[in-house]
Amino acid sequence: MNRQLHALKAELLKNKYSNILWVTFIAFALAPIMGGVFMVIMRNPDALAKAGGLSAKAQVMNFSADWNSYFGILTQAVGVGGVLIFGFVASWVFGREYSDGTAKDLLALPTSRTSILNAKFIVYATWCLALVLSNLVVGLLIGVVLQISTPDNIVVSTHLSNYFLTTGLTILLGTPIAFFAIWGKGYLAPLGFVALTLVFAQVIAATGYGYYFPWSVPGLFSGAGGEYKAQLDVTSYTILILTSFAGYVATLTYWNYADQTK
Amino acid sequence: MFLYNHVGCRPRTKTDTLELISTQSIIKHFGKTPVINEVSIQINQGEIYGFLGLNGAGKTTLIRILLGMIKPNSGHVKLFGKKVTANFNQWNDIGYLVETPYSYPNLSVTENLNVYYQLRQLNNPKVIEDIIGKLKLTPYANTKAKHLSLGNQQRLGLAKALIHKPKLLILDEPINGLDPEGIVEVRELIKELVHTGSTVFLSSHILGEISKVANRIAIIHQGKLIKELTTNELTSQLVKKILVKTNENQRAVTHLITSNYQAALNENDEIEITGSNAISNPEHISKLLVEKGLPPKQVSLFTEDLEMYFLRTIRS
Repeated sequence: MNRQLHALKAELLKNKYSNILWVTFIAFALAPIMGGVFMVIMRNPDALAKAGGLSAKAQVMNFSADWNSYFGILTQAVGVGGVLIFGFVASWVFGREYSDGTAKDLLALPTSRTSILNAKFIVYATWCLALVLSNLVVGLLIGVVLQISTPDNIVVSTHLSNYFLTTGLTILLGTPIAFFAIWGKGYLAPLGFVALTLVFAQVIAATGYGYYFPWSVPGLFSGAGGEYKAQLDVTSYTILILTSFAGYVATLTYWNYADQTK
Repeated sequence: MFLYNHVGCRPRTKTDTLELISTQSIIKHFGKTPVINEVSIQINQGEIYGFLGLNGAGKTTLIRILLGMIKPNSGHVKLFGKKVTANFNQWNDIGYLVETPYSYPNLSVTENLNVYYQLRQLNNPKVIEDIIGKLKLTPYANTKAKHLSLGNQQRLGLAKALIHKPKLLILDEPINGLDPEGIVEVRELIKELVHTGSTVFLSSHILGEISKVANRIAIIHQGKLIKELTTNELTSQLVKKILVKTNENQRAVTHLITSNYQAALNENDEIEITGSNAISNPEHISKLLVEKGLPPKQVSLFTEDLEMYFLRTIRS
């Protein structure tokens, strides 16, 4: 436990001045901001008439100017956009040691390689949680500023539960990205993998088989796929959890046992 | 009783101090390419072991094998008498610098060292300040690593390797990028460390530097250990000869040979005289040539340098 704490302190220190930290928060905050823009358009008939494309999009999404829609957009941002942003975070946290040239300095230390990786996984999960909390705060602020009618407690608790469950499902998908970062020794392989999974998640979800594809599951769960959410069952979640577990084991095994030549 | 190391080097007595590094017939291939071929070395406590080789000879691969970063196809490594496996737990007795030292670019010198302070689970924060002072990095303590000069980045790499006062230091090209003053400082630092009981494995392709600090030198070429000798043995194996010039070199050679000297003309039209008799008494040669009416215009002692010895060794 003490070793894990040392590894965690070291990992937090490394990220102290990371510019990428703020980039991810700004990029992710686009979702509540866009939600706010939709809200303004929906409540203003003149703006609705002028904002052709945007208003059409808002209507396709059955978007209305209330907390129900706004929570929905925030949750979908996590389930779909999170695959990209969380993937970006995982690529950075795990790939940076190779890009910075510091990986070799982590391999022969009293703090085990496994503890170092676990610290990275903790930082990755915390970072992602901070991102979704930040979006929630930004969303609430925008909601208050726009004076959206106060929702009842049941609506809030249902949406919050969906929001954080979607977050959990998306975070779990970070482990295979960690493997690709360590196997590919840098950012390129994991970012390529993230791009591929994002495309496949959309295509496979559109064909109606998304409930068997782990990277489609958070999006479907968030409601981004509309009625397809009903197709999610125990098998869907089991596949996602097994994918995450396989990614974790592969990352640890590769980091501990493969030849480290970089 | 004497025991013999591989490659027929110096005899060791059973009373020798602890072997801090011991490799047994290490073989490593990357794909079908052999990189390390049957390398066995033993390094005792208190030694400075110089490891020489051209770029690509296998120095860094062997260092990574020593540190458990690369697994050999066969053979094994022991550090402090224990096999290097996933359960090896004496990493805090070892400091290392492998190839170009890199640091976290957005962290200052102090913060970079703090990362390794944490990862080495040290419990005296003063060691950070101490090592910064020792490596003359105090003016840069709060400078971000990305703004350091190449030499200071190298010092930071050395500081990371030394922060925990290791008993065994494994350094791969530690003077790369350092200015002459830095080179002298590192040399003195290595000597000081050994004086306080540390052992140093020093890999380099800068032969002159190795010869200035090492007690023992090994030469690796194309993955094979082709020579291992003490610095005293090295000195005795360096070719020495007397070089002489006269107005009639050919006639002088004839006289020298008649007087039982091993003399010959070289491509620079100088007389080369070898043999211990000539090397230890060059004045006898001058006297002989004067007596024969061939007073020497030049008499000098030529000693082969380490570069020449190295090239001669790897080509033979």
